[in-house]
Amino acid sequence: MSEPIKVDIWSDVQCPWCFIGKRKFEAGVAEFGGEVEVEYHSFELAPDTPVDFDGTPVDYLSDRKGISRAQANEMIDRVTGIAKAVGLDYDYDHIHQTNTVKAHELLHYAKSKGRQLEMKERLLEAYFLNGEHVGRIADLADIAADIGLDRDDVVRALESEEFLADVKADVAQAAEYGINGVPFFVIDGKYGVSGAQEAQAFANVLAKVASEREAVQ
Amino acid sequence: MTDARIIPLTIVGDPTAAACVGDFCEIPEHHEQAVVNARLDDDNV
Repeated sequence: MSEPIKVDIWSDVQCPWCFIGKRKFEAGVAEFGGEVEVEYHSFELAPDTPVDFDGTPVDYLSDRKGISRAQANEMIDRVTGIAKAVGLDYDYDHIHQTNTVKAHELLHYAKSKGRQLEMKERLLEAYFLNGEHVGRIADLADIAADIGLDRDDVVRALESEEFLADVKADVAQAAEYGINGVPFFVIDGKYGVSGAQEAQAFANVLAKVASEREAVQ
Repeated sequence: MTDARIIPLTIVGDPTAAACVGDFCEIPEHHEQAVVNARLDDDNV
């Protein structure tokens, strides 16, 4: 039996294309049909955002990017429509814009417990679908407990910044790959796929890796 | 000054696929068209 194809994915919890891209990637893997091993890596899109950002995503876009509120609303409407097309009901009326470094630490904590994939899905749901806060330790601990992780131990790990160095190592590795946007997929350590591609694009590159492996056997 | 090491990757797929860069998430035009097409399909136009 051949080894699964390793896919390393750089992503941020409050990146709308990362959740959409996740669904498209999953569809691509299903289309490919072979074994794939996924590992998520941290990428902070806006590391200077305060944990308790006081405002809506429209406030954030208009204040920080200098675009009009009407344009910001149009952008959000469009991305919400695209999310819906892959089965995701983004709820921008209840999103809490925040700093995601603690969410990334939690993803590394979950990885250490063999639960990273469930944690990633749950955090994206929390932010985009459920209106939950993904920046505060107490809220993150509740979310982690929801998938069966030890709430008190999560609080301890996040308060002590036990996994902060792992988050920073992921960010540094992204720079080494030249990654400046997410989602970004590194497939078998040699192919890079940027953005929320169509499922077929993921299936194609996975099939290419599989056929290359067969050719050298 | 740090000397950033770049690990070479072969980039594949659609180079215009939607992604978030910095704190801004752009929507390529073909995605907007895809949404319009989906709405037309939903409306059975």
